[in-house]
Amino acid sequence: MTKYDLDDSGVVVIVGSGAGGGTLAHELVKRGVEVVLLEAGKHLTADDFVNDEWAGYEMLSWLDKRTASGTWRAAKDHPTAPSWSCQVVGGTTTHWSACCYRFIEDEFRAKTLYGEIPGTSLIDWPFTVADIAPYYELAEAKMGVTRTNGLPGLPANNNFKVMYAGGSKLGYNVSTGRHAINSIPYDGRPATIQDGFTITGDKTGARWSTLAVEIPRALATGKLELRPQSRVTFIEHDAAGKASAVVYVDAAGVTHRQKARAVVLAGNCIETSRLLLHSKSGRFTDGLANGYGHVGRHYLRHIIQTVWSIFDKPVYMHRGEIMGGMIDDFVRHDPARGFAGGYYIEMNSMGLPTTAAFLDPGWWGRDFVSVIEQYRNMAGIFMSGEDMPQPGNRVTLGDELDAFGVPVANLHYDDHPNDLKLRVHGYKTLSAIHAAAGAKRSIEAPSYPASHNLGSNRMAAKAEDGVLDGNGRAWEVPNLFIADGSTFSTGGACNPTLTIVALAIRQAEFMAGRMAAGEL
Amino acid sequence: MTETPMPTAYKDPKLPPPVELPEGPDWVGVLKVFDAHVAETLVVAARTLYPHQDLPERVYRRTVVAFDGLAAKMPAVAQGFAEFVDLVDGAMPVPFRELSESYRVNGLKAIEGTAAFRLVQRTTVRFLYDDIEVWQAFGYEGASAHLGGYVDRGFNDLDWLPEPPPGI
Ligand SMILES: Cc1cc2nc3c(=O)[nH]c(=O)nc-3n(C[C@H](O)[C@H](O)[C@H](O)COP(=O)(O)OP(=O)(O)OC[C@H]3O[C@@H](n4cnc5c(N)ncnc54)[C@H](O)[C@@H]3O)c2cc1C
Repeated sequence: MTKYDLDDSGVVVIVGSGAGGGTLAHELVKRGVEVVLLEAGKHLTADDFVNDEWAGYEMLSWLDKRTASGTWRAAKDHPTAPSWSCQVVGGTTTHWSACCYRFIEDEFRAKTLYGEIPGTSLIDWPFTVADIAPYYELAEAKMGVTRTNGLPGLPANNNFKVMYAGGSKLGYNVSTGRHAINSIPYDGRPATIQDGFTITGDKTGARWSTLAVEIPRALATGKLELRPQSRVTFIEHDAAGKASAVVYVDAAGVTHRQKARAVVLAGNCIETSRLLLHSKSGRFTDGLANGYGHVGRHYLRHIIQTVWSIFDKPVYMHRGEIMGGMIDDFVRHDPARGFAGGYYIEMNSMGLPTTAAFLDPGWWGRDFVSVIEQYRNMAGIFMSGEDMPQPGNRVTLGDELDAFGVPVANLHYDDHPNDLKLRVHGYKTLSAIHAAAGAKRSIEAPSYPASHNLGSNRMAAKAEDGVLDGNGRAWEVPNLFIADGSTFSTGGACNPTLTIVALAIRQAEFMAGRMAAGEL
Repeated sequence: MTETPMPTAYKDPKLPPPVELPEGPDWVGVLKVFDAHVAETLVVAARTLYPHQDLPERVYRRTVVAFDGLAAKMPAVAQGFAEFVDLVDGAMPVPFRELSESYRVNGLKAIEGTAAFRLVQRTTVRFLYDDIEVWQAFGYEGASAHLGGYVDRGFNDLDWLPEPPPGI
């Protein structure tokens, strides 16, 4: 096991081992860079995982309290847990359902394409699709994304048959989509056994995660030291304004200070913004890298919602991979629809415990009972669409402190009129697809806690418009980087993780290049 | 409810089996915090919130045993359950658990905005639908990896809609 000294200022310190941080660690050590990876959660193995929705949730999730405000449903339904991610080695890749779509060209130039939309803070990305395309290819190969590199798609399951019947009747382009889940054995990992429990950890390793793939391979290089149960509480800088050390608390409650050559934050949006806001100093009075006040702002969480429908006959939607279906007819921006941006239609399934919990939190009585009793005849269809960046939708620090003395984060989100138009359009489309397949009744479930957390430390072509440059490097702190979804300039419509991974590979190349040139 | 029999539900073998409760009123003997009145009131509340005709009393009781477990760990939660019982009992000249259904439903509607109601309603959903007997009743099969997943156990056995083309 490689160990680095706390005073070793030659190491790159990465905070968070999920999609962004876990991938970046591997990509850096492959290039010979010495890395310390600090992760708040435990290092679990496939054997620890259980096929059980609530037990898995409690084992993997980030359960520390947050608060919520604004018009979004999460503030009402999930006031102390408005956002959903994990606290474990591998981060939320231990839990995700592995839909892997690329941003399309237009989504990198949202401002140019959509024009002025009152109330929004849209910008274009500081690079184009051509710049990221090679990294998408590397990411797809690394993750074994179906329908790339000659890998077959996931086979149709029961829930997909419902989606296919309705979608094809309405003339839509329906497929099982693309996933970082093995349809056949690939890269030393087996094909899926269709257990339906990717969200509680994945016991076989058929699905890509940084826990199963990136971290063990990074450790094998001898260049990585992984420190689980290490909660980062503060980022320090030196007299020149460069990040110099990371303060963290270990499992025994002991505080340490790890020196660093460069620091990369990959704590998943809210935690990364929270750390920056909390890391105040005489030089950075409003938080690290926050001279223009963008840290925590422009928070995005996608227009995510599910329609659950009841059919005459059994579906058993819980059998098999949970999101194996996709319709791309609504992805492109089409002003004729009356709103900006697009959405992906995907599949969703949940077991009885979480279907009951998320169908419509707060709903009780005989009507609810009549629906949930028909669980086995239920099918689920889902969408992920683009929401509009607004400066007031943001992560801020409250007065209450957590167990580590860091202020609890508040997440404020007001729905923009464009978001609401897209939501209505989406619900109608989802319900129409199920109706065409013979649904007796459809329930428009509200969003569950935010699972796609993006934008709150965004990249921009100019320091005045965002926290980071196009390499995910803080404009104001030249050796501070961010590698999670908070870097997104705008949200696009699709699930974000493929893009997070592609950006991490690109960032590793950039960082290693600067280091080799003696500039980092 | 339906013609075809329900498939067997499984709990993950690493997790503890459901608690065994005596069938009679002495089931309350397993409780750590609640007295019999609080416990029976919460059972009636859980059934009023989620009145599944065919579910036996013991699943609602197990739900309340889970409430009791939380209450034993968190004094604030214990307080919330106690407040709930006071609220619903105080609304009518008859204790909540002895009210007829319409009065129980109206009583709950009247307190929907309170933290105590929210606690009871959310916690009922959390534990009632996590009970393997409820899974079995509504056709949710639960854990599957220990049986090899569903790849050979019906993940694509739906036969009442047209079969999608292979490789779609
Ligand atoms: C239910 C669900 C389903 C999903 N399905 C999909 C999908 O199908 N497709 C898709 O693209 N995306 C999906 N996602 C989203 C996906 O999981 C995230 O986009 C992705 O994991 C984010 O990567 P990240 O690196 O930003 O953060 P994470 O993967 O969440 O990793 C962050 C890590 O940082 C650690 N950390 C945070 N703060 C600290 C600190 N202070 N000190 C030390 N460590 C810290 C955390 O413990 C965590 O391990 C899903 C998410 C959920 C919740």
